[in-house]
Amino acid sequence: MGKAKDRTGPLARRPDNSAFKQQRLPAWSPMLTANTVLPFFYLLALMCLLLGVWLLLTVQSTQELKLDYTDLGSCSECYELRKNVSYAEQGCRCKVEFYIDQTFKGDVFFYYGLRNFHQNLRRYMDSRDDAQTVGRESQLKNPSTYCEPFIKDKDGVPIAPCGAVANSMFNDSFSFNYQTSSGHIMPVPLLRKGLTWYTDKNIKFRNPKTGNQTLAQVFEGTRQPLYWQKPVYDLDPSDPTNNGFINEDLIVWMREAAFPNFKKLYGILNRAGDPFTHGLPKGNYSIQISYNFPVQPFQGRKLVVLTTLTWFGGQNLFLPIAYLVTSSLILLMAVVLTVAWWKFGKDGKNMKE
Amino acid sequence: MEYPKLYEPGQLNLLFNKKEFFICIAQGIYTSVVLFFVPYAVLSNATQINGVPLADYQTFAVTTATALVIVVSVQIALDTGFWTIFNHMFVWGSVGSYFTIMFALHSQTLFRIFPNQFHFVGSAQNTLLQPVVWLTIALATAICVVPVLAFRFLKLDLKPQLSDTVRKQKRRKPGGRSMGGAWRGTGSVSEGRLGARGGSRRSGYAFSHQEGFGELITSGKNMRLSSLALANFASKHSSTSTLVCNLATNDYFSVFVYDCRASPWGAGGTSRKQPGAELRWTCEGEWR
Repeated sequence: MGKAKDRTGPLARRPDNSAFKQQRLPAWSPMLTANTVLPFFYLLALMCLLLGVWLLLTVQSTQELKLDYTDLGSCSECYELRKNVSYAEQGCRCKVEFYIDQTFKGDVFFYYGLRNFHQNLRRYMDSRDDAQTVGRESQLKNPSTYCEPFIKDKDGVPIAPCGAVANSMFNDSFSFNYQTSSGHIMPVPLLRKGLTWYTDKNIKFRNPKTGNQTLAQVFEGTRQPLYWQKPVYDLDPSDPTNNGFINEDLIVWMREAAFPNFKKLYGILNRAGDPFTHGLPKGNYSIQISYNFPVQPFQGRKLVVLTTLTWFGGQNLFLPIAYLVTSSLILLMAVVLTVAWWKFGKDGKNMKE
Repeated sequence: MEYPKLYEPGQLNLLFNKKEFFICIAQGIYTSVVLFFVPYAVLSNATQINGVPLADYQTFAVTTATALVIVVSVQIALDTGFWTIFNHMFVWGSVGSYFTIMFALHSQTLFRIFPNQFHFVGSAQNTLLQPVVWLTIALATAICVVPVLAFRFLKLDLKPQLSDTVRKQKRRKPGGRSMGGAWRGTGSVSEGRLGARGGSRRSGYAFSHQEGFGELITSGKNMRLSSLALANFASKHSSTSTLVCNLATNDYFSVFVYDCRASPWGAGGTSRKQPGAELRWTCEGEWR
């Protein structure tokens, strides 16, 4: 053992004889030996394989329908009309038809999709005022300068909600119709609520305090964004609680997508009444579209997507296939390692003494 | 000091040179590509069970960042050769503090005070509750770590370095693993001494890049040096001096202290070092 501590003289600065200072701490020292690594690789390959197969089976049980309606059928006239900015005030309606050959069992979700629309552009994402949309009085008529140039209209009246994100809100609307076997056309009822995150609807987006005023009076002194047809307090005439900043379509749009090709939730099938209690029956369907959103300026496309879901989501084939490919690569690597270990390195014969 | 050849990797700059650096860079590029494209490909089409799509910017950000922290922690865990209490604390602690800080930044409290700065409110909770997200993170981790593991295993099996042989022998000796003493002093870098993580394969790295006592020694004064500094000095001045240490050990509970004097070849007593002159070292040592 070491000598007793001596605090004066030549041994004064010697470190203490403690476990910490003399590097004697108890430690676990793992080593990559063959009998740990190789079974680990085989086990990992097996787990990835099982996971991949299970996910693939889960995904195969979902159904999806994608319909690109940018210039489909009668919508091509609307597409041409929307190329010209001066006709922006003019409405345009078109009709698109599709056929479902297999009943969509369970809950059916309706999405609108855009291609080549970069909501992930940095300057675009910055062009919003979260303090205004959370209902702060001081920001309502005095929005943040990040919203420039979508901050005041030509008369100097502040815009609510300000910014490029709100301004470019998707304003096509759809109404779905189903042709029954007897030839009768009936509308497909959609639930247009419950489309957002809980935190978005209840915390991130709040209307300014109303007190005993109506919502329209609270927004007095502000103007709607330049590209909108309706003011923010009147976005949903059928449901008074879905107006103002807490409008579900606005919240869904304001959650920026990460990629240029994305889809956003539009509605959920209301399965309360016949014949939709078990899902979407097979047959002929048509969509009446109020075509407002111009996509030609950025060579984009518009789509409607219908899908059923499982716990894993919709048709997301990348993950199961990636797991299967990874499992086979790991298995290959494990076999190569086993061969290399068996022929060349077994029993540590490469270790020099 | 029973394995003086352990100093060789440090002296010969074997563990950190241009080739190793470029291998490191290549691994970094590979990991970055995997960590971006795997969440990108999965989340583009992913949805939650309630229909809300997962392809939004904040979900993508949280997924990628969490995958990154986990992959890096696994990589560090692979690199760690000696798991002392401090290693456990720092590895698990850093993963834990990442999650803590993320939940704090995404909380309602901070959002209410500064809405424009903390606009990720609710992101962490919503994202990390999705099974798709965790499956993506697991896949990214597997893809990033498996090649590293395979490469290391092959290297260890086919071309083990002396430090690995020593470690394997130590494991075979009963009770030898947890004994510190002189071997640990040379073969590992403890947190108390240099603040770096443990790992015998990195011992040479630390040795060859530490500031030495070279100038102090060449002034000709008597110096008491630890084995650590001496080896470092040797590696810095390996072109002008040779240092051969044949030392015996008695037990593992003491520190070996040297007392060295330098003198030019052929001359007696101490004198200043001439450029290009060779030095002869005389060392006396004892166990304390």
